[in-house]
Amino acid sequence: MGQFLQAAAYGVVQGGLLALVAVGFSLVWGVMNVINFSHGAFAVTGAYVAWLMSQRFGLDPFLAIPIVAVALFGFGYVIQRGLINLIINAPIFLTLLLTFGLNLVILNGLQLLFTSDDRTIDTSYASQSFAIGVVNVPYGRLAACFLAIVITVALALVMTRTRLGHAIGATGMDRGAARLMGIRARHIYAVTFGIAAALAGIAGTMIATVGSFNPTTTPGQLTLDAFVISVLGGLGNMYGALVGGLVLGIAESIGGLLLTGTWVNAIAMAVLIVVLVIRPSGLIGKAQYSGRVEV
Amino acid sequence: MNAGPARGSVAAVLQRPHRTLVQVFVDWIRTRRPANSWPALLGLVAFAAMLGVQQLIEPGTQRLLSAVFMFVALAQAWNLIGGYTGYASFGQVAFFGLGAYTVAVLMNNYHVSFWLAMPVAILAGVLFAVLIGVPLLRLRGHYFAIATLGAAEGLREVVNNLTPITGGGLGITIPTFGDQAPTPYFGKPGFYLAFLVLAAVSVAVCALLSRSRFGYAMVAVNEDQEAAGAVGINTTLVKVVAFAVSAAIVACAGAFYAFQQIEFYPTDVFDASFTVLMVIMVMIGGSGTVAGPLAGAVGLELLSQFLRVNLGAYNQLIFGAIIVVVVVFFPQGVVNYFRDAVRTRQFSIFDNVRRYRL
Repeated sequence: MGQFLQAAAYGVVQGGLLALVAVGFSLVWGVMNVINFSHGAFAVTGAYVAWLMSQRFGLDPFLAIPIVAVALFGFGYVIQRGLINLIINAPIFLTLLLTFGLNLVILNGLQLLFTSDDRTIDTSYASQSFAIGVVNVPYGRLAACFLAIVITVALALVMTRTRLGHAIGATGMDRGAARLMGIRARHIYAVTFGIAAALAGIAGTMIATVGSFNPTTTPGQLTLDAFVISVLGGLGNMYGALVGGLVLGIAESIGGLLLTGTWVNAIAMAVLIVVLVIRPSGLIGKAQYSGRVEV
Repeated sequence: MNAGPARGSVAAVLQRPHRTLVQVFVDWIRTRRPANSWPALLGLVAFAAMLGVQQLIEPGTQRLLSAVFMFVALAQAWNLIGGYTGYASFGQVAFFGLGAYTVAVLMNNYHVSFWLAMPVAILAGVLFAVLIGVPLLRLRGHYFAIATLGAAEGLREVVNNLTPITGGGLGITIPTFGDQAPTPYFGKPGFYLAFLVLAAVSVAVCALLSRSRFGYAMVAVNEDQEAAGAVGINTTLVKVVAFAVSAAIVACAGAFYAFQQIEFYPTDVFDASFTVLMVIMVMIGGSGTVAGPLAGAVGLELLSQFLRVNLGAYNQLIFGAIIVVVVVFFPQGVVNYFRDAVRTRQFSIFDNVRRYRL
């Protein structure tokens, strides 16, 4: 029983972290119908920025978050404005190919700059933990999970309460109509992508704090997780990624307890396919997005 | 009087496959004119020329060209479902791995001849395509892409964990020497020929299919599925058959690849980058054409080999940058761009960019 509680607790904090990875991915997919293959690469870029800050200036990763967010926002804005906007009217899989090429460029660039060694940001508190009964909760992961929830709520408030959020939502629903209302779609798309990149960067920083990262295997795994979580949670709802992340985190940690080998991965994929076939709008997503085909 | 299904329709193909395929070929021969025969003639001449080339080149080049031919077949196969039918599958590597493992398991565990194992591998690919195609082809756009990606990842994990049969993560080896070998190893010239024939057959199948009634049905499903259904096309059948034919070609390529590699691991033959390469080759070449995947596969595979040899550590970086540039300047694919440019006499690349940008 204690084992299960421990696995569930670990699943919750891990799920919060995964949700932070996926929320930007889900936002870009929902608003622009772009699948960003390089999402994991943005996360790892953010991790390297925070790692450099920590190495050079001894800056705490939680204090480096604003710097990471601003840097990644600028990077994402330029990428969307200068590259992805150019082919936004082409068949949808072109944007996927473009981001795949971008992924290769970013990751190999990082590898040439920093080598492919595993890196981690050392802090005094990340490996400490406290106990509730039989369950151990690590401080670092708990803080990351808390941050994920705060950011998701903040993003949801921005999307529903501010003019910028309304502009992003309107552009996602009907770009033509939004432009007629005076919304600058090029700018809004770039801002959306910038926000997603900044969130990915923050998630990368957290991953670097509680675990380790490298430019070869980490990004692909993060992108795949973001995929699964976005589908599970559904698009068009800011809390979708949070729900999907928690479900995936808990399912993986409890599944890892019950099953041997890597069967848990096979089960995860089977669940993904079943969710897609039975409920393509995800657990709490809006149905409008699942029937959408933009050619 | 019951006339039965229309000649060349999908139902007719399924009822009498041999007669209909012959009919497609006879119709094709009958409609040949000097003006429309040059692609086929060119293809035949190129095939005949390549048949003799392996005598003249060194083993390393034979191996390189074998890989090029394999990607031609894979790209043509992806084009059937992703290009013509418009269902971008990101799980085609599932059929590649399935074909490879079927051959390896049959040859290693049961000492079956390769020539018997290969058709079984193709059959396995077709069956799996029908099994996942019927539920998944109801999904559209990105959702179909992710579902197929999930199917491929899931199948890899299954193969990875069925250790008693597949050897699991430790890999599998096909016996190729002495009395142990069910079929003698082909060697580099042998595999050159095998992959050349596979590529030629794939190109021929796609060329014939795309001009048949079935080919028009695929394009109709791509352009407007509801309208296609309204004019009497059984859209589910068209999609599943296109998926299955594509899977058959990919599984066959996987079977040859397995025998060529002798020893391999689940991560090798279920590598998602195979799928991504198929997609890139078709998209950059020009989807929905026969020449596009051919040009894309030959061009990109030669380019990536060239970069690997000459640029060392920078090769992936440059390869990615080239993909970005080509996608931005030729979003509709190189072959489609030149066809439209010649037809409309507008060659400006910047006008082309302007057409697709926001």
